[in-house]
Amino acid sequence: MREVLLLGRRAVREIARYPEATIPALFIPLFFLAVNIGQVSETFPDTTPFLNGQGYVAFQLPVSLMFAVATATSGLALVTEIDGGYFDKLLTAPIRRSSIILGRLASDLVRGLLGSTVVLLAGLALGAHIEAGFLGAVVLVVLAALFGVGYAGFGILVALRTRNVQATNTSFLLFFPLLFLTPNFVPFDRLSPLMETLARANPVSHVIEGLRSLVIQGWDLDKLAACMGVIVGLGVVLTALSLRAIARYDSD
Amino acid sequence: MRGIDLAVTPGEIFGFLGPNGAGKTTTVRMLCTLLPPTGGSATVAGIDVREDGAEVRRRIGVALQEIGLDPVQTGRELLELQCGLYGITGQAARERAGELLALFGLTDAAERRTKTYSGGMKRRLDLASALVHSPPVLFLDEPTTGLDPASRLTVWDEVRRIREAGTTIFLTTQYLEEADNLCDRVAIIDAGAIVAEGTPEHLKGEMGHDVVTLSLDGAEPAAVEEALGGLAGLERVVAGPGQLALYVEDGAGSIAEIVRRLDRGSIRMGAVTVARPSLDDVFLRATGRRLEGASDEREET
Repeated sequence: MREVLLLGRRAVREIARYPEATIPALFIPLFFLAVNIGQVSETFPDTTPFLNGQGYVAFQLPVSLMFAVATATSGLALVTEIDGGYFDKLLTAPIRRSSIILGRLASDLVRGLLGSTVVLLAGLALGAHIEAGFLGAVVLVVLAALFGVGYAGFGILVALRTRNVQATNTSFLLFFPLLFLTPNFVPFDRLSPLMETLARANPVSHVIEGLRSLVIQGWDLDKLAACMGVIVGLGVVLTALSLRAIARYDSD
Repeated sequence: MRGIDLAVTPGEIFGFLGPNGAGKTTTVRMLCTLLPPTGGSATVAGIDVREDGAEVRRRIGVALQEIGLDPVQTGRELLELQCGLYGITGQAARERAGELLALFGLTDAAERRTKTYSGGMKRRLDLASALVHSPPVLFLDEPTTGLDPASRLTVWDEVRRIREAGTTIFLTTQYLEEADNLCDRVAIIDAGAIVAEGTPEHLKGEMGHDVVTLSLDGAEPAAVEEALGGLAGLERVVAGPGQLALYVEDGAGSIAEIVRRLDRGSIRMGAVTVARPSLDDVFLRATGRRLEGASDEREET
């Protein structure tokens, strides 16, 4: 545990020292938030039934939160470290290898909390309000950050398996199809039948639905449970695969 | 790796000498538990590398060829983190980091991020970070490769000082001079196998008394060898690229006779030099090649 804290603290220090790695990553979700609202707010005025009296910004906010936290930053930092030799130094230290991964994930939690708070504040500034109240807002930020931790496991896995900077960098793009095969612009029932089938099968949809329920509906425990299930499942599977990859790192 | 059989005595500086690609780094990585050995066994500080890698890691310090520094941290932060990884925390870690920074002349740069360090400073910090827990065994993989001559001397001094504190040092190098100056014992590795082992003096002594090098200037090595057949005191002839090394009892005294014989055979020669055998000669004899970058210490006659 001490090792995880030490390595986590170091990774958090990286966030503070490399703002250029974090700030552009926040620009994209804020950009999409502004642009998407600008494009469709006349099509979906606040009288639209699925907006429950709010502006379209409320509907888009969860999508932007997910954009803000789904980054390959940890994977990139790890692959850079593998490239530069510091990773070997860590491997020769008498620590559990898992602490190298868990330290990274701890910093992803911090990064996710920061990023989603910024995007949430932007959404509030643009007129959204959180139907589930202040506690709902906190849960929203925490769930988004946890989704970011789960997603970071993917970049870490690619980094460990490929040990290649480019591959790790582009792994981030794999998220795009998953994010767009969802009810990201309109609810499930407004999608074409094929899209709806795909979207319902896509676990990411349930994350969006869960986050969105806090903004638009209030407390919908079923949706929150599904959302949490996907986040925990994603985190457990990817972290387990990363831990296995680092345990077998030498024999590849 | 082929069969490698080595024993390093506690408290010595053991040099592993060989060209690039000879298997030096692979050996070090196996001993440091970074690579699983494909066969055989190894014990480091009394612990079996295959059985108890974790315990080996606790007892060794490692500075690999690729300097492993985190560019984002300052020198002090890096050392304090390294202390933490070895269980040294709080005030003890701060003290140890400060001590090592002072010892390696890095106190002034302690608050700067390591990415701003020069090559020599990075190497020294890397060395310092391998020592936070005062390990009984230290592995240094090509500790001076890529350093300027002045930094190389500084590293040599530091390595000697670490040994004086009781640490056993296993270092790899591709520099003969380094092996000769720094190491108590040397093993020469070529293509994954050990071809010579002993103290530098012993290895050089085995070669014969003096070495006369003839640069061939186009002459046939076989013709030269024939012309020199039966030369008094000639112990061995080793052919190298464009040159012949003659190991003779009395180098200076033999030159006149060598020149006379070649002249009689109408063989044209380039330079003729005489010197005491060097590790380079040991390497040449063992492998049939000269080590790249070997310094030429011979005197022209």
